Amino acid sequence: MGSTIAEKILARAAGKERVRAGDEVKVRPDFVIAYDFPGYTDVIFRQMKEDFGIDKVVGPERYALFIDHMVPAVTPAEEQLHKITRDWGKEQGVPVYERKGIGHQVAAELGYATPGAFAVHFDGHISQLGTYGTLAIGVRRHLLEAFVKEYIKLKVPQTTRVELTGKLKPGVMARDVFHHIVRVIGSSGARFHVLEIGGDALDHISLEGQQTITSLAMFTGAITAIINPNERSLAYAKPRARVDLEPVSSDPDADYAAVHRIDISKLEPIVVIPPSPANTRDLSEVAGTPIDLGYLGSCASGRVEDMRIAAQILKGRQIKEGFQLHVVPTSQEIMRQASEEGIITDLVAAGAFVTSSSCDYCFGRMGVMSEGQKAVSTGTLNVRGRMGSPDSEIYIVNPAAVAAAALEGQIVDPRKYM
Amino acid sequence: MPLNTLRGRVAFIFEEEDFDVDQIVGVKNIKLKDPCELAKVAMEAYDPDFADKVQAGDLLVGNVNFGYGHPHYPPMIAMRQLGIAGVIAESFAPGYWRGEIAMGFPQAACPGIISLVSRWDEIEVDFDANEIRNLTSGKMLHMEPLAEGDRDMLENGGLIGYLHARDKEE
Repeated sequence: MGSTIAEKILARAAGKERVRAGDEVKVRPDFVIAYDFPGYTDVIFRQMKEDFGIDKVVGPERYALFIDHMVPAVTPAEEQLHKITRDWGKEQGVPVYERKGIGHQVAAELGYATPGAFAVHFDGHISQLGTYGTLAIGVRRHLLEAFVKEYIKLKVPQTTRVELTGKLKPGVMARDVFHHIVRVIGSSGARFHVLEIGGDALDHISLEGQQTITSLAMFTGAITAIINPNERSLAYAKPRARVDLEPVSSDPDADYAAVHRIDISKLEPIVVIPPSPANTRDLSEVAGTPIDLGYLGSCASGRVEDMRIAAQILKGRQIKEGFQLHVVPTSQEIMRQASEEGIITDLVAAGAFVTSSSCDYCFGRMGVMSEGQKAVSTGTLNVRGRMGSPDSEIYIVNPAAVAAAALEGQIVDPRKYM
Repeated sequence: MPLNTLRGRVAFIFEEEDFDVDQIVGVKNIKLKDPCELAKVAMEAYDPDFADKVQAGDLLVGNVNFGYGHPHYPPMIAMRQLGIAGVIAESFAPGYWRGEIAMGFPQAACPGIISLVSRWDEIEVDFDANEIRNLTSGKMLHMEPLAEGDRDMLENGGLIGYLHARDKEE
């Protein structure tokens, strides 16, 4: 019996020839990644010193900090948190990346998505580095372990594989594919497993789209997602890789907990009904629902192809009077590319409110709703209160459907504008 | 080190699958930090008299994928303040599981638990025998054994104690 890519990566990180799912091992993360957030980084920095008497992390080059939430700061306390982060980074020799965009995306741009590497973060959306064959796990407060110990304890996870076949219809996007996976395998279909995505369909889904799919793995219950490296992902990730590692892939006879084959060729645009990321339906079921606000952005969506399709829909048209459309590119580099392509011009001309990259629109710090309002969103989540009032509602849709809703002020199939 | 067997009444059964624990205190209260304030608002939507009925050592029971969504810490801070000693569910969402184990809060995954118990039954959670016993009905179920790391963490009262214990061991 062969090994999965996750088993191979963890075997190397554990310094062992081979590990199997279920083994409890001590592994050395190649990268320890975090964004500054109250209760996480500030507490970790304090605990390191006060509870464990540790002045310096081991191997500062393995660590990376991002300032992407609360950017720009609106209170002195927020700015103080950022200052603590900057000072800590300087003291430790750990890079702090600020105002470059949403960390999970910027991490990929900066080479932390090294094929074959093992990374930890407290936030589970770091799973998107799996697009490039990196095993990246969100461990919540356990991240402290990676700041006070060189090796962390981990139970080697099982892997559930999803084989995607077929080619998407125009106007159906990677975002629809992910939520369809949840619909097919269930909200606990890959619980505590690594979600390995493969299949011929990936040839027709861009790396950006693959990052959309891998970023949301947690909503299948998975602890992360990963894709075996291929020519295209290596061409992106290898030249910028921060450590020199041999990329690894699952063996053909690897031991999977389950293998699901999902044909995406007949998929229609989906919607995820509030208030749970488990409620995937066809968008047509709720067409006509009045909508006040649209959000195109987040670490899951908001990349060049997402804004390109929105611009195609909005070009030469005007969004509905009174509708608030927020477009937030996933990184500043993506914003630059979209700007060069003229996408930003088209979006602004149609009435979109385009802002610099930040996480703040996704978790209800900016662009919030009041009681009774409804949004279409490409944010990560649709739970109550995520974007303002607990009595507002979030319908998750693909980027094209956000743009189309902005034109009509209601949920609508975007393909009529394409 | 043995993990103490929990013994208490089933104070509430969350029957909803994919239960979003934030609902325990309500999203409008999710930013509260004070355990006493959190305890006051806990369970408003489910049983407004919950705080009066519950006693130290009581347990919660959940359905499949308990803790799904985007779980925050305040709901279980509230529950611990009220004396709740642990949660037994059909299964848990990993993010929630990991977060609460790091707090040293006992959890047990036990397929079949929903049909094993009724509210206010007295039950025992035996982490050594991996058994959950309903003392009221006399029925018993096997629970999933804890992973070694999770068990270490519970034995040491949570993440900080666990890491100190590793200091000694290394």
